[in-house]
Amino acid sequence: MEQIGLYLGCNIPLKAPDIEQSFRKIFPPLGVQPVDLEGAGCCPAWGTAPSFDLNTWCAISSRNITIAEDKNLDIMTGCNSCFGVLSEAKHFMGNAATRKVVNGSLAKINREFKGTSDIYHVAHVLHKKIGVAKIKENLKFSLAGLKIAVQTGCHTLWPSDVYKVKEENSYYPTILKDLCEVTGATVPHYSRLEGCCGMGGMRSTDAEKSLKLFKEKLLSIKEETDADMIVTTCSSCFLQFDMSQPILKERGEIDFEPIPTFYYTQLLALAMGFEPQQVASISQIDRRPIIAEIQSEKRRIKEGM
Amino acid sequence: MIIDQKKIDEAIEIIKGHGGHGIQKCVQCGACSAVCPGVKAGFPLLCRALIRELLNGHLEENIENSSSWGCQACNRCTEVCPQGVRPQEVVFAFRRYQALELAFSTSSVTSQMNLYETGHAVFSDPKEARRKVGLPEETPTSAFNEEAQKEIRTLMDNSPMGELGLF
Repeated sequence: MEQIGLYLGCNIPLKAPDIEQSFRKIFPPLGVQPVDLEGAGCCPAWGTAPSFDLNTWCAISSRNITIAEDKNLDIMTGCNSCFGVLSEAKHFMGNAATRKVVNGSLAKINREFKGTSDIYHVAHVLHKKIGVAKIKENLKFSLAGLKIAVQTGCHTLWPSDVYKVKEENSYYPTILKDLCEVTGATVPHYSRLEGCCGMGGMRSTDAEKSLKLFKEKLLSIKEETDADMIVTTCSSCFLQFDMSQPILKERGEIDFEPIPTFYYTQLLALAMGFEPQQVASISQIDRRPIIAEIQSEKRRIKEGM
Repeated sequence: MIIDQKKIDEAIEIIKGHGGHGIQKCVQCGACSAVCPGVKAGFPLLCRALIRELLNGHLEENIENSSSWGCQACNRCTEVCPQGVRPQEVVFAFRRYQALELAFSTSSVTSQMNLYETGHAVFSDPKEARRKVGLPEETPTSAFNEEAQKEIRTLMDNSPMGELGLF
């Protein structure tokens, strides 16, 4: 079975371990074995080393990458920020002068960046390496008739010149749409498809500005798609959708119930029949009704069909 | 406006030194600002507007402006820039200039301390949540790995961050 280094980051293993568990459940049946990268740390997050010093950013990212290099493995991460930070650091390490200085720092901890591991997002591994046909073979429940609004998130899209896997048009992403449609669900377009959710540096710098941006996106989803759920491949977008819809509701700024939100592999794990308690149990918004609908007997895919 | 060439040269040198190498290619077309979520949300000094200030030599004058910290690092600007400026790198270069002068919100100090102590910028005890979803209580990450934490501390101690007294 093909192996790939599972780079966890911070939010997924520490705050949303049900997302981590969903990775561990879905990949082996699909033919990819995630391998732990022991001792990997923060990517480092945009608000830390990248905000202070470029070479320190590259050193901390490269340390993480060398853990995979030592195992001769590529890296897969489910966090968009981690994907962006690691990919950009690898891009900067392509500069000979930067690589020399950073490898000088890494020598102090007996490491050397070689550049032999590629960096993939979980969505890329599912879409490009595994493929939707293989995913379809492993489904236990059909999501036919359910409507999904997708949120790809920023850091797998731009800047496209530093990423190993690119969308055909980064302002009209289709990878997540394809991954959702294979479950049988419909994925309607909405006008703010590529819009930013407002999480990240913006959320911690000015929560009101962040919510303003978020609300515009959310209303576009609600009014244009009336989706049953929102599905994202960014763990930060997930937190924003799950945390900020109830805030807007409580303030009376939206007149509809918060839309249940899933990280994509949670939805896939549910459709593959895994236990909701293990793969989709941590959220502010009550997801139990939609989970019961997804795993209802009438949706079970019969053998041989 | 008085043009002070010495100030302009200094500002450009500092920004380039922090990674904003493309700043002088900017023609002020504003494509970056048109796609910037930060500009859309109302931060006044990002992308085109920030680059204009910097190209006019106004570095110190803007040191307290928090706009750069509202940058999502999304790089929509980099994607559309017709001149190859890579505006996000200029915004982050300015942010680095601010950060090394300690001109940032005290709330971000926690992330630096967390990173230094646990190797994770975001840290909370995960044991109960992990047990509930059927995972080992301890993550395979630096959070429970002293050797890994020591490596990360060494990298941070030997960087310009180590001189700021944040951790």
